[in-house]
Amino acid sequence: MAVCIAVIAKENYPLYIRSTPTESELKFHYMVHTSLDVVDEKISAMGKALVDQRELYLGLLYPTEDYKVYGYVTNSKVKFVMVVDSSNTALRDNEIRSMFRKLHNSYTDVMCNPFYNPGDRIQSRAFDTMVTSMMIQVC
Amino acid sequence: MSRPAHKRPEYHKINKDLFVLTYGALVAQLCKDYEKDEDVNKYLDKMGYNIGTRLVEDFLARSCVRRCHSYSEIINIIAQVAFKMYLGITPSVTCHNSSRNEFSLILHKNPLAEFVEELPAGRSALCYCNLLCGIIRGALEMVHLAANVTFLQDRLKGDSVTEIGITFLKKLDEKKYRRKK
Repeated sequence: MAVCIAVIAKENYPLYIRSTPTESELKFHYMVHTSLDVVDEKISAMGKALVDQRELYLGLLYPTEDYKVYGYVTNSKVKFVMVVDSSNTALRDNEIRSMFRKLHNSYTDVMCNPFYNPGDRIQSRAFDTMVTSMMIQVC
Repeated sequence: MSRPAHKRPEYHKINKDLFVLTYGALVAQLCKDYEKDEDVNKYLDKMGYNIGTRLVEDFLARSCVRRCHSYSEIINIIAQVAFKMYLGITPSVTCHNSSRNEFSLILHKNPLAEFVEELPAGRSALCYCNLLCGIIRGALEMVHLAANVTFLQDRLKGDSVTEIGITFLKKLDEKKYRRKK
């Protein structure tokens, strides 16, 4: 179960960010913000290999006491960041990977909408429901 | 009578996504250019009309339809042959009135609007697929049938199906009718 899901544009500004306990929203925003450095690091470190394999999933970015932060970057350098409760040990790497893939597909649908201008905040209802389902989903 | 029934050997297909995205870009651009929804609808219809007047030739050449003897036959050809050929869907047909000149094509799936989630804010009167109306109107006009074609229901406006209403305006004139269908 994800507690925070964020989509970050190529230029590192948020396109979409949502977290479940809304009281600690700021904390999650901060966490996602910090994770961007790790994302950049990972991309530059194994950029070549990643491009060759077309592997978009970055894996665990960094763990904190209570949470784990996972990252995914598309070929167009749009980043998806997901914060997961670390008490939830049942959540496997593969599941995270498939969640990201779902997120990516959903994002593609948003991009295909002719009335969405690339670079705007995502306000799509379908995307929203998909994210909500991922946050409630018991894994 | 229709033309002899040999299909053109080369039947080019383009990627569906490319087509749908192109149409989306067209509508989005029109929305940028014109403030009023009515204007956008009007231009879509106009473009469709121009397409329809040409497309009908292609349709008659490629399909082997025979002469139609009633409005309902024409509607069935449009639904089952034309829509199938150009959009890959078969809308269902209903008839409303007793004089049998008002019909509805009900599209359960609209490939043109596949990527559109909802109409943009402040554009509630936009008929996203108004091009289709224009095409049907133009095509019918080229076979000497005047018709009124409008959207009655639109999925994008919250209705459960997309419905295109076709009203034939004149009784079939036998003389005109003989020319060619």
